[in-house]
Amino acid sequence: MRNAWYIAAREFRATVSSPMGWGVLAAFLMVTGFFFAAMVGFYVEETASMGMNPYVDQPFDLNEYLVAPFFSNTALILLFLCPALSMRLFAEDRKTQSLELLLTAPVRTSDIVLGKYLGGMGFVLLVLLCTAHYPLVLFIYGSPDLSVVLSGYMATILLTGSFMALGTLASACTESQVLAMIASFAALLVIWVASWAEPSSGGAWWAAVLAHLSLLNHFDQMTKGIIRLEDLVYYLSFIGFFLFATWQRVEAFRWR
Amino acid sequence: MSGVIEVEKLEKRYGLIQAVSGLSFQVQPGEVVGFLGPNGAGKSTTMRILAGSLGATAGVARVAGFDVFEAPEEAKLRLGYLPEVPPLYGEMTTRDYLAFAARVKGVRQPGEAVERVMGQVGVQSVSERLIGHLSKGYRQRVGLGQALVHDPEVLILDEPMSGLDPAQQAEIRGLIQSLAEGQRTIILSTHSLAQVEAICQRAIIINAGQIVADLPLDKADLASGTVNVHVERLETTLIEGLKALDGVSDVRTAGENRLKVEVCRDVRGAIATVAAPYGLLELAGRERLESIYLKVTSGRTVGEA
Repeated sequence: MRNAWYIAAREFRATVSSPMGWGVLAAFLMVTGFFFAAMVGFYVEETASMGMNPYVDQPFDLNEYLVAPFFSNTALILLFLCPALSMRLFAEDRKTQSLELLLTAPVRTSDIVLGKYLGGMGFVLLVLLCTAHYPLVLFIYGSPDLSVVLSGYMATILLTGSFMALGTLASACTESQVLAMIASFAALLVIWVASWAEPSSGGAWWAAVLAHLSLLNHFDQMTKGIIRLEDLVYYLSFIGFFLFATWQRVEAFRWR
Repeated sequence: MSGVIEVEKLEKRYGLIQAVSGLSFQVQPGEVVGFLGPNGAGKSTTMRILAGSLGATAGVARVAGFDVFEAPEEAKLRLGYLPEVPPLYGEMTTRDYLAFAARVKGVRQPGEAVERVMGQVGVQSVSERLIGHLSKGYRQRVGLGQALVHDPEVLILDEPMSGLDPAQQAEIRGLIQSLAEGQRTIILSTHSLAQVEAICQRAIIINAGQIVADLPLDKADLASGTVNVHVERLETTLIEGLKALDGVSDVRTAGENRLKVEVCRDVRGAIATVAAPYGLLELAGRERLESIYLKVTSGRTVGEA
């Protein structure tokens, strides 16, 4: 496990010192900042006009109209950006042949995979930390529910953890970072919207299975502050499955 | 079975291609072995299997008594490996990189190990520079540094001098020679027969995945050999000086500014010292290895030693 931390720390520093890392962070903050400002503006305008409506006696719920959509938007942006962060984890090392250092060091394959994954996740957490000022603004000017904000962050961390796990596998499957990014983005998008098949399927069993596998379905409840065991199990199994597959993939380098 | 490296009937197949077929050899502690063979002969494959980054289709490989497939971590603790392309991270400084290598190789005191190895491979002057900005020679040194950082018993070097300019080659060769002076076992692959002759005590020649020759290159081998010397100015004082050397039986001129020196043991160092003031251009020992190499890699098998 100690080796996994060494590898994770190195990966994190490599991402921090790469233009890709900063590019992703800048793009992310720009887009989330724009979304947040637009949403707040819309919310304020709607609340003001509703205040004059004699039939509405309660203002819009801040949690429902601002906090949950904020996390949904953040998740969507991360769906695009996580593949750009995960693509280099193994593909770059394979291309430059620096993976030989780890493969010939007395380190378990599981530590290599875990280290790479945790290093990538470390940067994702840094990215998420940079969004902390958005809810802070809401706390200063309004009174959102802290538990909803926290469960929103938990949902986002689990979701991005899933993105990065799948991305790690894609990165281990090719030497081309671009291919790894495209493959993981395409796969994530399909899993993201897997539930869309349900309404048109006429209640077929496979559509129900797909809906259950959808990353989106499990996310929505949690951003509303509802933490269900099945959602936690889903995300942890998703991450576990893809890390296990990556482990097998890296083991296969030695047994090909 | 007492070799520090033991390879028995090693096989490696890539799909339909048989890269290594039934390779068996042993290397004794402290031995410096040159791995020779044409491109695609299976040298790198064998080295990667020993280093643990590649699996084998069949056979056994042991490093310091530990099976590289059954007890890979134990074997890797005792082995340093420099692949043909050094496994470097361009965005790290030399010091950080070596410290990282030390940690993942289980070194207890990484700071001390890094200082030691930087001195050993001569990279102190670039310790704070990014590896991506280093010259090829320095990168090769840093690569050698990661192979040495955990002070392994066995060192496996895959073409450590390829792509370097002659001065850098000489530097790396000197470095390997200094490493060989300890009780370290070294296997190195190269295309330069002269380097094998200069550094190694034994040459294993591989062709098409099989050992086609296994020759000792010990100094006794030079008994009654001929050393060719090429200088800028051939003067009688030089001939007299060479004749006076202990171990030299005869000196003959062989063309313009060239001499053939008959020796009964390895006195190339002494010959170089005497010939240096006359502008020593070339000093070549036996041509024996080259002729054997060409013979065995062209298809015929020479009996294994």
